[in-house]
Amino acid sequence: MNFFFQTSSSPPGGSIKSPQQTLRRLFLMLFLRGHSSRGLQLKKVPGSIGQKLAISLTMYVLFGCVAFAFVRLPIFTLAVYLHATTFAFLGMFLASSMGEVLFNKEEADILLHRPISPGILLRAKIRVLFEVSLWMAGAFNLAGFVAGFMAAGGGWRFVLAHIFSIGLEAAFCAGCVVTAYQLCLRWCGRERLEGLITTAQVMLSIGAVLASQILPQLLMRDHTMIAIDAQSWCVVLFPPAWFASLDNVISGQLDGRSLWLSVLAISATVVVLWIAFVRLASEYGTGMQRLGEAVAMRPRKSSRRRWIDRAINAPPLRWCLPDPVARASFLLTAAYLVRDRDVKLRIYPAIAPMMIMPIAMLLQAHGRDDGFMDGYGLALSGSMLGLVPMMGVSSLQYSQQWPASEVFRTAPLKGPKPLCDGARWATLCFLTFPVIAVLAAVFSIMQRSLSHLPLLLPSLIALPVFAFIPHIGGACIPLSRPIEEAKGANQGLAIFGAIIPSFALSGLAFFAWAADWFLWFLLIESIVMVSLYAVLHLWLANRKWPKSE
Amino acid sequence: MVRLDRLSKSFGAQQAVDALSFEIPAGQIVGFLGPNGAGKTTTLKMLTGMLEPTSGTASICGFDLKTDPIEVKRHVGFVPESGAVFESLTGLEYLEMVASLYGIPQQAARDRIRQFIAFFDLSFETLTEKLLGAYSKGMRRKVVITAALLHNPPVVFFDEPLDGLDANAAVGFKTLIQTLAREGKTIVYSSHILDVVERVCHRVLIIDKGKLLLDGKPDELVAAHNAGTLEGLFTQLTGGGGIERRAEDFARTFRP
Repeated sequence: MNFFFQTSSSPPGGSIKSPQQTLRRLFLMLFLRGHSSRGLQLKKVPGSIGQKLAISLTMYVLFGCVAFAFVRLPIFTLAVYLHATTFAFLGMFLASSMGEVLFNKEEADILLHRPISPGILLRAKIRVLFEVSLWMAGAFNLAGFVAGFMAAGGGWRFVLAHIFSIGLEAAFCAGCVVTAYQLCLRWCGRERLEGLITTAQVMLSIGAVLASQILPQLLMRDHTMIAIDAQSWCVVLFPPAWFASLDNVISGQLDGRSLWLSVLAISATVVVLWIAFVRLASEYGTGMQRLGEAVAMRPRKSSRRRWIDRAINAPPLRWCLPDPVARASFLLTAAYLVRDRDVKLRIYPAIAPMMIMPIAMLLQAHGRDDGFMDGYGLALSGSMLGLVPMMGVSSLQYSQQWPASEVFRTAPLKGPKPLCDGARWATLCFLTFPVIAVLAAVFSIMQRSLSHLPLLLPSLIALPVFAFIPHIGGACIPLSRPIEEAKGANQGLAIFGAIIPSFALSGLAFFAWAADWFLWFLLIESIVMVSLYAVLHLWLANRKWPKSE
Repeated sequence: MVRLDRLSKSFGAQQAVDALSFEIPAGQIVGFLGPNGAGKTTTLKMLTGMLEPTSGTASICGFDLKTDPIEVKRHVGFVPESGAVFESLTGLEYLEMVASLYGIPQQAARDRIRQFIAFFDLSFETLTEKLLGAYSKGMRRKVVITAALLHNPPVVFFDEPLDGLDANAAVGFKTLIQTLAREGKTIVYSSHILDVVERVCHRVLIIDKGKLLLDGKPDELVAAHNAGTLEGLFTQLTGGGGIERRAEDFARTFRP
């Protein structure tokens, strides 16, 4: 009998990889290439794992060079800065990757009937994410190691201490994120599991963005440890300070507060890892099974039409979208914005900085006497709003269900315009207007006045044009391209290009406000924007279907 | 080889599989039939360890599903209806990954994969140069079937295996499973293509709403129910009576 027909563990015929090794390699490849690449050729994915990693890590090394600004500051400040930014980066990375890696729906059909236990599966995934986290943290902290070596009170001991504490911090981050997902599994039913995991992932990503935006502002304010002083009680609530204290202690600064914060760092990491990988690990297999189960649809409570159906067929949306195809596209896009896991995971964390950065700017300027609160802050914050519909429209063209978009081409439509119109208005209604409302509310509460709110008007007037910009680069037909292409798209460059006119617009608006020409400015801006909008509208109306690949 | 004893699965209040009991000996091809939502896929997923039964027991090759799930998985091959694969891997990467999960040495796996490629008329270049995401549906199905048979399991579950296969590949596949059964393998074949089931299977199990309705040889069952064909028997049992007349009536609504 051929040995191939036996299931012996050590037959001749070449090397055997253990399931653990195989799964680690598999998940690393999936992580780097993406889970789905329908329509892509091998040559379009990274030629080698090393190539892609090298590019990403170089970017992190460059980001980390900010650490040199801290060389002359106390070593604890440098340590806190490095740990806080590492924490934010790793948090964002792990939160955005973990949900897809841990709970991939299709994976159940591929792997759950293979002879591997859920524990092996979980450990292989976590190990890959932990390894990648360590590479990222190492690359990001490279400049920090040099800065720490050069700083007073630093030297080799700081470098060694920081290597250890960064490793521990990466483990803590991974443990926290895994625990969050495991708790989702434990506390919710099968029907709500996927939605809850998505929400947890979005919230974790937004939390990490929030931390990364607020923290540098706190740190850079006085170049001291005012906000995160090791002697202050609030450091207990700030995990990066625990790990920075570990640097302090290993470097030889054995004060009592640093010592107990270090103990807190180590014990918190151990506890979180125990909860994630021992206490809750058994739930993982069950969770994977639950994702694969068919979910019975709950019957609608009444036969009444949904509010969105009524809204789309009534003014003012009906005036904006007179074409029934555009209205259908609006409903389709809205459904994806609310229901689709992949779309939610890409869009909400991406637009979070657009909402958080203006609020962070306003918070930072609060109480300052430099005219910022007199309006420029709001005008500048408003300029960020233009980026929201741009990012929304741009991101919405990618979907895991992109082959289904063939239905658009087979329909008797001259071109993609009505589809684009619907998607654009859905982005404005469901993403942009809520962000504007939140920003206006925050500003009004902080200033206790509505007098400066008109400074948001220039951004509001420009919004429909900003939302059109992605259509210029490509048609941006909703849900029509594979998500892997989103990773290679020059979206970042386009957004950077749009920031410049957006900031210029807010500068002009503030200048006009200060010079009492604001009404004239609004009038001229309106004329320019309406003309631009009409031209773009006409251009899109004459655009044919892009070539199908 | 395969034994189910009052195997049940419920999703909340919905009873997907209701106390299913039967045995399948080695060397038999069993057609597992039922209308949409009857509980076929749920049963297959339980038997392959992908879903935990709510109650009841099952064993495969003497290994209990509850106490020995890894051994059960080692002894079964499964072609899921979804045909899911990791699309960002090439065909060869995917098959080698699957082979190593079953402890098959790399060189041996590659040799065996070449045999499957030859059988399925795939080119080695396609398998090494193209990502699975770029494969046609039929090619992906061939890869999924290869992945299910690569470790030479004694029991194989097929859920709509012919979906996407061209006529030649389908003929080859049917002959393959008939020969595998003669060699002693147990085949469970779930499909809606009833004429194929009628020709290929030694025995059929018809379930509806999670319950076993009929179990027997296709020709004997058809004769006993005076149904003419397996298709006729199936519609008779599962409430499909009068479907042809309804289809004709509906078609008339297309008149301009």
